[in-house]
Amino acid sequence: MTWQSANQQQYTSLLFAAKEKPLFSLDRINMATIGHNNLNAKLVLLGDMGAGKSSLVLRFVKGQFLEFQESTIGAAFFSQTLAVNDATVKFEIWDTAGQERYHSLAPMYYRGAAAAIIVYDITSADSFTRAKKWVQELQKQGNPNMVMALAGNKADLEDKRKVTAEEARVYAEENGLFFMETSAKTAANVNDVFHEIAKRLPRAQPTQNPAGMVLVDRPAEGARAASCCS
Amino acid sequence: MMYPIQRNTDLPFEIQPEIRILRPSIHARRANLVVKFQDLYGFTVEGNVDDVNVLNEVREKVREQGRVWWAMEANKGANWYLHTYGSSSIALTSSLRFSVLVNAMTLKKLIRKGIPPSLRPKVWFSLSGAAKKKSTVPDSYYNDLTGAVSDKITPATKQIDHDLPRTFPGHPWLDTPEGHAAVRRVLVGYSFRDSDVGYCQGLNYVAAMLLLVMKTEEEAFWMLAVLLENVLVNDCYTDNLSGCHVEQRVFKDLLTQKCPRLSAHLETLGFDVSLVATEWFLCLFSKSLPSETTMRVWDVLFYEGAKVLFNVALAIFKMKEEELLVTYHVGDAIKIIQNTTHHLFDPDDLLTIAFDKINFMTTNLSKQRKKQETVVMAELDQRLRRLNTTKLSVKS
Repeated sequence: MTWQSANQQQYTSLLFAAKEKPLFSLDRINMATIGHNNLNAKLVLLGDMGAGKSSLVLRFVKGQFLEFQESTIGAAFFSQTLAVNDATVKFEIWDTAGQERYHSLAPMYYRGAAAAIIVYDITSADSFTRAKKWVQELQKQGNPNMVMALAGNKADLEDKRKVTAEEARVYAEENGLFFMETSAKTAANVNDVFHEIAKRLPRAQPTQNPAGMVLVDRPAEGARAASCCS
Repeated sequence: MMYPIQRNTDLPFEIQPEIRILRPSIHARRANLVVKFQDLYGFTVEGNVDDVNVLNEVREKVREQGRVWWAMEANKGANWYLHTYGSSSIALTSSLRFSVLVNAMTLKKLIRKGIPPSLRPKVWFSLSGAAKKKSTVPDSYYNDLTGAVSDKITPATKQIDHDLPRTFPGHPWLDTPEGHAAVRRVLVGYSFRDSDVGYCQGLNYVAAMLLLVMKTEEEAFWMLAVLLENVLVNDCYTDNLSGCHVEQRVFKDLLTQKCPRLSAHLETLGFDVSLVATEWFLCLFSKSLPSETTMRVWDVLFYEGAKVLFNVALAIFKMKEEELLVTYHVGDAIKIIQNTTHHLFDPDDLLTIAFDKINFMTTNLSKQRKKQETVVMAELDQRLRRLNTTKLSVKS
């Protein structure tokens, strides 16, 4: 993980001074970037089609809910700033398309992400299965320090529930994610998910192991040898 | 309409003759209030007073353009634009051949300036090749197809049903039971025509726009068919969207060639242009640009082909080059791009740059695509293999 700890003001002046030529010398700014007490964090939402990814974002960013939210193609971008303790966290949110075939685009959106919310619909067992696949993929290919949240959305539809909270909680614990059931419709737990992520984002001193950092359990390397042809 | 309507589904939606808005008061102007209004195709748009004025000017320009087209018809005959390619079966005299050439040049210029909305269905249908495609099958093809599959349930139909109310929600015709039913028949019909494509999210927006323009389901269906089968590159919407990946890579290379400074700067920021351009290419700009601007892009797309998407995408970046060069954060750059596309109410602002300032005649696109195809295939294959490894190791 590369930490860009450059003072943002310094960076700005450098940039404006060098306006005339491309800024090859600057490192890429991604993951969570720190300047004073401001943190920029790229966050990606992944999950099955219709699980409510866009609705969660709309609730968080604009405080709105639409019964029918336009289907997302590729991905949609939003930003929102949160104040947590003594710092502000500016989330740059990538809300991705859910259809299976869009899967091949996902790496572009989760590359360099500091956090991910994996969303499923509590009324759809398939969407929970798909959520697990996303978790596996992020564990394998994502940023190893990524803060991951599992959100069981549509919690207001209790009578149509297919995935128990217990099942999801156990899964989340086993995989080092934090878990919440949410409802974009009633707003339940929506801001909380983002707040919790903001709190858990690794802070400044990159040498220390920051509090709240999620350690990801990886399957033992030896296990692969036991499985046959891949 | 000019074509026989076989299903009784002539769309009840009419193009708005005027933008319905009360003239904002001077106070609203001062406060720079955001107003809501309906655009030419019935979409609700939020904009400021300047945007409304621009749209009114555009409406006037559309009328003017209509007069030019009608004058052409009066002068050259009703279907003059169909005779731009010398049809080989007829031995043309040299003077006639010359007039064909003149027609072709005139037509290209005229189309880049915009086809009047009233002529769009007719001109698109013939020039895109949709009419020809339709003529190769029995007249009852569309009715037979949609009739035969209307009760079938497949993964594609489930996804289509899921997306119907999520396709331009709030539109006065699309978001009605009739609108949903029409979009459904077109998409479901197509999912059976080409099971490799089936249904791909994004096509819902494309089909919806085609219905608004063509006014009959059957013609919208054939426009969708010609678009996917002839106009665009292969596999844009199939399985892993490989065609789309290829186009994105070609686009990145073109941006590097045409705007090297900008391209380098964006790379420094870590801004992969595909982050925004993927949606443009899959929805053919219908989710990003105002409707008349989108339709103006499609006017040219159906006549000149898929390369038009590159012209337009490059133009969007080119328009904002100076502004983008002074951003220092991905988020800011994306905001600039989003803001630009959403407010491009005057199609000429975009298309003048797209066609007059960007020229890649020298670029051999098919060679570029071939090159990127190999890279994309290898990459997708490698990714798939890595993911499969994960699955196995977790299981055991």
